[in-house]
Amino acid sequence: MNESGVLRASLAIAAAVFLALLAYSALHALDYGEEEAYSRDLRRVQAATAELNERVLKSRSALLSQYDPLVHALRDLHALHERLKRVPEFLGRSAALDMRARLRDSEAQLQQKDELVEDFKTQNSVLQNSLHYFPILANSVIDRARVTPAGATVASRIQALISAIMLFDTAADTESTSRVQSAQVDLSNAKQAAQELQLNHELELILAHSQIILERKPLTDGLVKQILAVPLPRIALALEEAYSLHYRSATDRALILRQILFGLASITIVLGLTDVILRLRRSALALELATGELRQANAALAREREKERQLGELKTRFVSMTSHEFRTPLSVIVSSTDLLENYSDRWDAERRSDHLERIRSAAGSMDRMLDDILLIGRAEAGVLRASPAQLNLDEFCRNLVESLEHSSGRSHSIRYSFSGDPQVTLDERLLSEVVGNLLSNALKYSPTGSQVDFDVDANDEQCKFAVEDRGIGIPEADIPRLFVSFFRAGNANQIKGSGLGLAVVQKALDVQNGTIEVQSRLGQGTKFVVLVPRDLGPLAASKSSSNEL
Amino acid sequence: MTRNRPVISSVRCLAAVFVSLTVLACLNLFGCGLHEKRHESEPVELDSLGEQPIEPLPLTVDFDVAQAALGEILFAEPRLSGDSKVACTDCHHAEHGWADDQPHSRVVGRPESPVNVPTMYNVRFLYKLSWGGKYESLEAHIDALMTNPKVMASSWEIATQHLSELSSYRQLFAAVFRDGLTPSNLRQAILDYERSLVTPNAPFDRYLRGNAQAVSPEAKQGYALFKSYGCASCHQGMAIGGNVFERLGVLRNFFDDRGHFDNADLGRFNITKREQDRFVFRVPSLRNVALTAPYFHDGSAATLEDAVTTMASYQLGRELSEPDRSAVVAFLRSLTGEYRGNSL
Repeated sequence: MNESGVLRASLAIAAAVFLALLAYSALHALDYGEEEAYSRDLRRVQAATAELNERVLKSRSALLSQYDPLVHALRDLHALHERLKRVPEFLGRSAALDMRARLRDSEAQLQQKDELVEDFKTQNSVLQNSLHYFPILANSVIDRARVTPAGATVASRIQALISAIMLFDTAADTESTSRVQSAQVDLSNAKQAAQELQLNHELELILAHSQIILERKPLTDGLVKQILAVPLPRIALALEEAYSLHYRSATDRALILRQILFGLASITIVLGLTDVILRLRRSALALELATGELRQANAALAREREKERQLGELKTRFVSMTSHEFRTPLSVIVSSTDLLENYSDRWDAERRSDHLERIRSAAGSMDRMLDDILLIGRAEAGVLRASPAQLNLDEFCRNLVESLEHSSGRSHSIRYSFSGDPQVTLDERLLSEVVGNLLSNALKYSPTGSQVDFDVDANDEQCKFAVEDRGIGIPEADIPRLFVSFFRAGNANQIKGSGLGLAVVQKALDVQNGTIEVQSRLGQGTKFVVLVPRDLGPLAASKSSSNEL
Repeated sequence: MTRNRPVISSVRCLAAVFVSLTVLACLNLFGCGLHEKRHESEPVELDSLGEQPIEPLPLTVDFDVAQAALGEILFAEPRLSGDSKVACTDCHHAEHGWADDQPHSRVVGRPESPVNVPTMYNVRFLYKLSWGGKYESLEAHIDALMTNPKVMASSWEIATQHLSELSSYRQLFAAVFRDGLTPSNLRQAILDYERSLVTPNAPFDRYLRGNAQAVSPEAKQGYALFKSYGCASCHQGMAIGGNVFERLGVLRNFFDDRGHFDNADLGRFNITKREQDRFVFRVPSLRNVALTAPYFHDGSAATLEDAVTTMASYQLGRELSEPDRSAVVAFLRSLTGEYRGNSL
């Protein structure tokens, strides 16, 4: 599990938690319409209770002629309780449980109130009827009874009962109660007189209504008191307070939830962005790497192509130069052979040998050139190796000088000096290429009869060969390219040469860890100084194992 | 239509479907029946009437027309009962103001009803239902009657099971309810029908709304007596009763005079078991009272005149003169309203 894996896992977790909480908060979101309706219903409980109480009092005072308003108020209260049982989801489960428990209390009180109101209506209907009808009936009986003296007694007793009832209706206490009762007894005792007046039925009715009033007024008033005493408003107020507490804690919870949601959203976004940035950076890095590789490959390819081009160029130059350089001795061979073929019988021996010599010389020059070309080729192919061996340097140089003096026909004098220990370990063939080429060049590019100095010094570490002529010199501009194959200095055109000599020198020195320096002044002479390690033994030892070519 | 029940159930079913579709079409044509407002343009006499113990019924009420139309079919459907033999209409007769013209309803396979069957009209305006006030809502009432072994001896599930055997009912319910025939939809359709049984625009209501010519002078006189005698102490409000309980026999003992006594006479006591509720009954609504003879919980008063005489005597301790009584009866007759725009 790498860094980005951890990052992505935590991103997924944060996003999942965020979505889960979002879903939760959406489910428990505050519905403002619902909340408003609910708190309105809560307030309505108190208002409807007050309305009911007011209507009960009005009914008791005969200010309401029907019970529909009471029934409607009760129905409203029942409906409100039904609606309030559906507690808004937003408040949470425990709040809903609390509210429902309180509502059950409230409903029990409402039920009690409902029953009291039922009883009140039952009692009040009869009481109101009697309160209304009793004075009418009593007064009409008084009017009818007054006409006789016996009736006057009845009338006065009825009158006493009316007064007692009126007093009782105003203040129903023990005194007024006993006064009504005694008035009732007095009137009952007058039944005989009433019978004579044929008012006994009316008398019974008067007594019955007075009895109704006597019994039902305290009952009805007691019911009114009980109805008013039902603690519904107090419970409703507590319900409202509980609701506002629940509401506040629910909004607090919602706020915290919203903050958590905000935090989670931020974390999710930050994690997501980080992931994206990391991915971008990784891909940029990979791109950069690929570009670098591509660039390197391109460069390698370009180098390769340049090398190929150089090689091709070299080959082209080599082919053109060799073909040119080979043609000269070949033409000498061809012409001398032709001449010998046609004229040898007529020519003297000297002349024949002269032409034969020419052929040999041309062939020899071709042979040398081929040797040079092969050496350069092997050097460039990286297979040229030094094969050091014990060598007497002084003897070697002296032989070389003698052979050159001989081959040049002693046209120049070579002054040779040697100092130091002549016993060295060097590759004789390569050394002869180096020194031979330098010496033959010195002879070739200096006037006949001039002297060539050849000083050799073999100290403890290295051998120093200095070859100095007094010849045409080398233009300064040509010196940097002096050791390139087939290159020839601008002032050397008149002199025959392949342009391979110094290249061969350079290649032969390279494999012997040698160096060469050149000092030249145009028209005055040139001095080459070659330094070669005295002992190539270790080098030879390390390289002798490879194939000798 | 509802009384003459065809014997063969398939014929009955087809008739029911036909009726239902006709009713639905009519309701659609006339724009939701009772929802339509009617205007009274007669000169107003309200000021002279003042505050009254009686209020007119509303001219419009809310109910689902399609569900009520379906409920009307169901009201006459014996498959609602456990033995598929008893329909609501067996006791509630349309031609008797949705009450029974017999003192006690006699239905085959059921015991005789202990009390006289009250009217279904205007039940939505009653605070408590049944003579003893046992039920606080139409829902509670109908649920109890469905499972009562002496009445429907059924349940909403059994009734649904019976109805679901008929494709016509399945189609009807599917047309009215999104979830088709279910126990609760069945119940709801009947409840909507019950709530649609409203009889506004009685002559007396028109009089209360200001039309002085809507009722006869005798009826007006009767109304004045109705109030002064004290009838209106109990028979008041929109339903002219139905919102208060009262003891039968306030000034005289009703049952002593009647001569016999049975359990149903205990009234509200049977529900509350409170001594004070003995012989206490719900004061019945006097709406359409002229249609719903016989009267009282025992159906003991065969005519309105008998009922008025009994009430005056036992509740108010009064003997009414013949002209007074006929005036009160004239007033009571003016309480007969209209159903679906037709006078009953």
